[in-house]
Amino acid sequence: MVFLTFPCLIRNRGPDRYWRIQEVLKNARHFRGRKNRCFSLAVRAVRRAFVYATKGRQLKKRNMRTLWISRIAAGSHEHGMRYPVLMNNLVKSSVQLNRKVLSDLAISEPRTFQSLAKLARVRQEEGFRAALGDGSEPAGVLSRVVLLQ
Amino acid sequence: MTSRGTPSRFLKSVLQNGVGRYVCQLKRISLVFSKNAQSSLGARHFIEEGVVDFAKKNPGTVVYISPEPCRIPRIVAEYLNGTVREEAITSKTSQQISELVTKMANQSGLDIIRIRKPYHTDSPSIQGQWHPFTNRPPADGFIRPPGKETSS
Repeated sequence: MVFLTFPCLIRNRGPDRYWRIQEVLKNARHFRGRKNRCFSLAVRAVRRAFVYATKGRQLKKRNMRTLWISRIAAGSHEHGMRYPVLMNNLVKSSVQLNRKVLSDLAISEPRTFQSLAKLARVRQEEGFRAALGDGSEPAGVLSRVVLLQ
Repeated sequence: MTSRGTPSRFLKSVLQNGVGRYVCQLKRISLVFSKNAQSSLGARHFIEEGVVDFAKKNPGTVVYISPEPCRIPRIVAEYLNGTVREEAITSKTSQQISELVTKMANQSGLDIIRIRKPYHTDSPSIQGQWHPFTNRPPADGFIRPPGKETSS
């Protein structure tokens, strides 16, 4: 473009400003106050929101795991066990259920959770007998892996 | 792109579609293209080769072909729940268009947004959901405050 006079040198800034602003404001529409209407305030608020969303993805995994653990602990306390005892003995009995599934069982399948708690208790007592007893063959063996011939 | 800022839904099927007979959710598919433009070349090839086979394979879907002067050739898919999806097919090959069209035929009309959980069940509890009295043994006789026998 050729500008012949000085007033014509005023820059042509481009046609797309409206859409560039709307792109940012559409992410701010559910905010409170002037942050959802005014672009300069919205830009900062949207950037913080995205940063929190990124950080929150790690936090969500941590928080969900602590929630599952507290629910399993509550369920096992009802059956007279503690959480570390339950998990340790389930691992030793090669029950490979994760905390998410165990917490869902504790909520919606209480009898199954009770049977898992009993299994863990039996395995714990067997461990005590093996460690403290006289080394004789135990009466009912639960935890020894039997190889099929 | 926050979870509260973008819409999301739970996993569901349209009226429990696969449980009895499966009904194809694609109601109508219209192919809008131009007879002479360069961008509609793939669309024209698809109409020559693949559209009749597609229509025979999906007898529950109506296929409309509309040649009209348009700048971008489009596929407009309408579903049984009223959703309308438009896809531009500029400069796509016939193979790509047929893949796109089969993909649209396999979709239900539900929104393509974030699905909160990848599972859904109508009966989450078989043994009965836990409540505070599930693991409490029923009381024998009247319920009395503890320690009253020792004081009397």
